[in-house]
Amino acid sequence: MTLTRRHLLGMGAAIGGVAALGGWALWQGRGQSPLLLSARNDAAGQHFCAGYFLDGRRAFATPVAERCHDVARHPFLPVALFVGRRPSRESYLVDLRDGRLLQTVRSQPQRHFYGHAVFHGAGEWLYATENDLDEPGRGVLGRYRLESGSLRLIHDGEVPTHGVGPHQLAWMPGGESLVVANGGIRTEGSREKTNLDNMAPSLVIMDRHGELHSKETLRHQQSSIRHLAVADDGTVITGQQYQGDAWESVPLLAVRRPGDAYQPFPVAPSQLAMMDQYTASIAIHSRRRQVAMTAPRGNRFFVWDLDSAETLVDVPMADCAGVGVVDEGFAVTSGQGRCRYFGYRDGQLQSQWLDLPGGWWDNHLRLG
Amino acid sequence: MRAVMIALVAVLLSACSNPREEVTEQLAHQVLLPAHQQWHDSNAALLVATQGYCADELDGPALKQGFYRVLQSWSYLQPLMVGPMAEGNRSWQVQFWPDKRNMVARQVEALLDASSPLSQEALEGASVVVQGLSAFEYVLFDEAVDLDTRSDRYCPLLTGIARHQQALSKAVLELWEGPQGMAAMLVDFPNQRYASADEALSLILRTQITAVDVLKKKLGTPMGRLNKGVPQPWQAEAWRSQHSIGNLQASLAGARAVWEQVRSLVGDAQLVSRIDSGYENTAQKLAGLPAPLVELVQNKENLPRLQSLYDSLDNLENLQQVELAKDLGIQLGFNANDGD
Repeated sequence: MTLTRRHLLGMGAAIGGVAALGGWALWQGRGQSPLLLSARNDAAGQHFCAGYFLDGRRAFATPVAERCHDVARHPFLPVALFVGRRPSRESYLVDLRDGRLLQTVRSQPQRHFYGHAVFHGAGEWLYATENDLDEPGRGVLGRYRLESGSLRLIHDGEVPTHGVGPHQLAWMPGGESLVVANGGIRTEGSREKTNLDNMAPSLVIMDRHGELHSKETLRHQQSSIRHLAVADDGTVITGQQYQGDAWESVPLLAVRRPGDAYQPFPVAPSQLAMMDQYTASIAIHSRRRQVAMTAPRGNRFFVWDLDSAETLVDVPMADCAGVGVVDEGFAVTSGQGRCRYFGYRDGQLQSQWLDLPGGWWDNHLRLG
Repeated sequence: MRAVMIALVAVLLSACSNPREEVTEQLAHQVLLPAHQQWHDSNAALLVATQGYCADELDGPALKQGFYRVLQSWSYLQPLMVGPMAEGNRSWQVQFWPDKRNMVARQVEALLDASSPLSQEALEGASVVVQGLSAFEYVLFDEAVDLDTRSDRYCPLLTGIARHQQALSKAVLELWEGPQGMAAMLVDFPNQRYASADEALSLILRTQITAVDVLKKKLGTPMGRLNKGVPQPWQAEAWRSQHSIGNLQASLAGARAVWEQVRSLVGDAQLVSRIDSGYENTAQKLAGLPAPLVELVQNKENLPRLQSLYDSLDNLENLQQVELAKDLGIQLGFNANDGD
């Protein structure tokens, strides 16, 4: 039986008290400060699945065994999967209303997570990038079904990502095809990189059942394609991490516009030099046609015009980590210092400090 | 009465001021900015010396003295490189290390073969490999270069590098000065860079501790720690000028200058004493080394001595990275050190 949105909303009863859309909508609350979801540590090294309202109030901070990376939020139920960071074999399904750990999702034997996953828009399926340890580096897309009744994610098959070392993935417009950043780096169940002289990064577009639509590469073989964001019109921006020599100047952002080939996004060499060969998180503000990116090693945060590539923000920000769209701008977390908001007010781009706790935020966040 | 009031207000103000803000300001004005100034001064002096040498007004040893002085100030600066000099790949323009594939020698010769006499413009457009002190050192010290007889070939490069370094340090110094400069960012909070003095202090310590870790690499690489224990003498920093140990000493002194300011903030007196000893022991071991590093690593008998120095650096790094950070309650980076 195919699950419908109505079924899933019914399933919401399993997490207690959210029996109907009305309850969830009420919980979300109109005018409520947006909820920021992110993996976080504390000073003692304990890992958390954290939810904070942007006004600084803590929704929850659930201690977990493994460090997580990105968060996959369910499209309409108050649950999200905090995805274990490479080479974790655990991810955590969390009730967003109180932070209750609903399920520790374990990877299949000979598989580990890469830190990223997405829920399908209809709410029944989740897709996670994973490593096939029988053939290290071979990327697979693990498929999980949200089980009716118990609200548990059950592994239900996998397909190849058509590349090596997959990392972030996102839906293309229409929500049936995925764009996958195959980082090109082979690891064998640890964090050690074993093929830096023979990397094979690629940007793949595939349907969620596995069929390959396109596979594109960049000129620099040691440029690991790691993170990405998709605009409403299908424009994809990717961020690379260059594994070659530190002093070289190579493109660290690339763009795939509808109908165009995948190519470097035109960023000034002086800005590239500020990134220390490392980009972390990318967010696109589709309505404003802006793309934001964090460079935690270079301690730098950027916003560019998505179409003209004009620089809108280029500021120092220590260990800047996750970035997400909120209202007229972007919220940015930091692994080291205070979080910030960059947004337009009266036509001017302004920055303000957020009242969130400072430091220890992992590289990705989700807002809503 | 009025004077008493003013004095009282001053006392109250100082009582209210945050010790971490004071320390950060002292670091900015008494340590970091002077180190940048000193580095720039040594670059300016090297430019004059290079021009003098190339005009036959100064001899080789005098030029070498100028070079050593720059190495010294540059090494001292490295643990203090917060802000502009740590950004934009600028430090690669100053020094090309590690040079795993002897790129400095090959690229210098290739550049001079391709454009002789070398113009400043050609140098500015060339790779960072040939723009800095490592290329200068190659020309000045390498046995393959006969500088005295081939000054027509090499002098334009030496002068070009000295000019490039002087311009670079001047530009960086300008980024430190002025109301929006880096020094101001370490005094008034919050500002464009930092929400608080704690954040600025964290970054200063993170820079300093990272530099101590780099000292371990500078010692450990020629010792063969990355090469299954087989020594790699030509991977030593500044092996051509035999100044590797001098560089380590200067960097350790720079790191210590940060510690000297920070120590008043530490609550645990025992920890203070252990870190003090950590610096003292390491400095003594460095001072006691009897020969240039490039020679020492080639004789197995010296390995215990070098290993002992390495362990001292390791201990110093751990003391600061773990115990000092914990005592001060500050954070030394998260994603920047181990992202994904």
